[in-house]
Amino acid sequence: MKKYLQVALGILTAIGGFVDIGDLVTNAQVGARFGLSLVWATLLGTVGICVFAEMSGRVAAVSGRATFDLVRERLGPRFGLTNLVASMLVTFLTFIAEIGGVALSLELVASVQEVLIAPLIALLVWLVLWRAKFNIIENAFGLMGLALIVFAVALWQLGPDWGGLVHQAATLAKPHDELWSTYAYYAVALFGAAMTPYEVFFFSSGGVEERWTDEDIGVMRANVFIGFPLGALLSVSIAGVAWVLLGPLGVSVDDLGQVGLPIAVALGKIGVAVAIVGFVAATFGAACETGLSVGYSISQYIGAQWGKYVRPPQAMFFHVVVALATLVAAGVLVTGVDPIMVTELSVVFSAVALPLTYFPILVVANDPDYMGEHTNGRVANGLGVVTLVFVLIAAVAAIPLLIWTGMGR
Amino acid sequence: MTAIENRLADSFDAVLHLLDRQIVDADGKMAGNVDDLELADLGEGIEITALLTGASAFLHRIGGRVGERLVRGYGELQPAEPNRTRPWRIPLDKVQYVDSAVHLGVDRDGVLELGPERLRLGDLAGMRMTGERGKVIDARFEPVDGRFLLRALVVGRGGPGSYLGYERRDDQGPWVVAKLIRAWHRHTRVIDVSEVSIDWSAGEVNPRQENR
Repeated sequence: MKKYLQVALGILTAIGGFVDIGDLVTNAQVGARFGLSLVWATLLGTVGICVFAEMSGRVAAVSGRATFDLVRERLGPRFGLTNLVASMLVTFLTFIAEIGGVALSLELVASVQEVLIAPLIALLVWLVLWRAKFNIIENAFGLMGLALIVFAVALWQLGPDWGGLVHQAATLAKPHDELWSTYAYYAVALFGAAMTPYEVFFFSSGGVEERWTDEDIGVMRANVFIGFPLGALLSVSIAGVAWVLLGPLGVSVDDLGQVGLPIAVALGKIGVAVAIVGFVAATFGAACETGLSVGYSISQYIGAQWGKYVRPPQAMFFHVVVALATLVAAGVLVTGVDPIMVTELSVVFSAVALPLTYFPILVVANDPDYMGEHTNGRVANGLGVVTLVFVLIAAVAAIPLLIWTGMGR
Repeated sequence: MTAIENRLADSFDAVLHLLDRQIVDADGKMAGNVDDLELADLGEGIEITALLTGASAFLHRIGGRVGERLVRGYGELQPAEPNRTRPWRIPLDKVQYVDSAVHLGVDRDGVLELGPERLRLGDLAGMRMTGERGKVIDARFEPVDGRFLLRALVVGRGGPGSYLGYERRDDQGPWVVAKLIRAWHRHTRVIDVSEVSIDWSAGEVNPRQENR
């Protein structure tokens, strides 16, 4: 019985934890402009993150090694360092975006400018990362994030033309007033939002934190293969309500209030309240995960003790990195930079950085020295190679598309 | 088939199987990375004498003039501290076994020591191979009575993909990746250490006269 509860908890956390600021913003933006015609990109990204997370989780469970241990072991210190710097820049950008996202969510309630709230949120994030237990960080925000189910409820309440939505999704029907270049740009953005690298740094390090062994592989797979796709359904609902309500008005989404606007129309004040709880939980949870990921990855690269499973004095280097990252993130946010813009950049650069960590994990998941009998089977390798191809295409296309479309304007 | 239980029980490729691995103490606490390996010729040819770890060993690993400059710069940060550019070492007898990590038999607190400057694996890997279009990418060691003696050099074109393991074993997928990387590194070969002499100061490996 306890085991089933554990599996259920894991799945619920995975659903609630799937959506972060990148998914919220990108899906609403895309929904308002392209409807569900780009849902294939979210679908690809979801398959990709499932494959990536399952492999890295399995490697962590069997070998006890997390992502950046392996990156350095397989690529050597020099290329490994380039890799670390690039991945950490993207993760740090995401960290800023998530803290900014919490501040923007609270601004909706408090009407205090987000610039003034952000330093406070950063302080809170640091306190949680310093004091709170790992399973609290992982479970509490994931469960609260389930509040985002209001988007699915709102879509159903709005009673859209379901046939039309399905047709649009199935035929990849780009609206006539949009260019193919921006269509491609947002495909890459959606892919990057679904497949953000920090998710895997956090997932694999979390496996080591929780002392997974090969007996935990089953539970891990249930979380990934059930939880992530259901989480992705929330992403699609966000795009769906944005299309139904904002599409006809020609509104372009450039703040978090507009992401929640369809909820206000469909479900009124209570709906909005629930949505804001969801926003805060999703972004705060992701802020903790990205902050930890920065500390995890740098510590893994140099071999220092990391993790919440030891007391902070035993992992001092790790906690100093986390504290510094939080401080600098707060510093960037008080300059008044727009967190939505940071979010847009972070999802695109996520796509650029993905192959740097995806490829080494794919290789190690095949290495019997690390994996014994748990190396990739045919299905994992088939999907793994297909995902590799899409990851490479997205990485190569991202920056040219960013420049060509002027960030999708 | 299970994952490797102790890498040191049989012969191994030091760069692929030992370098850059996590060092873990008797208690499971992390104690650094294997930033380099200390080598020395103690009469029976070259053998591994210690793990090297810490900033100085790591910066040296970056290699070339940049690496040298970084090590010097690291020393200059604190001129009053003696031997700052010397790498910290963990003698090999403190190592219990190696699986996906290097496990020490002792606690991490105070385990590092300074010793005389000896040879380093990081310098051997990357050496030019005279008369061939290739360089040393790895060194194969064999356990003999608790010591690890250098038996062979792995020589190939180097560059990307040298340390993914594909050219050293043939049961590692995925098929497409394995095919591509093996094709790229198809000239990789193993040369017995008795056929060459290593010139550490010039940074090159020469074939022995009688084999010319």
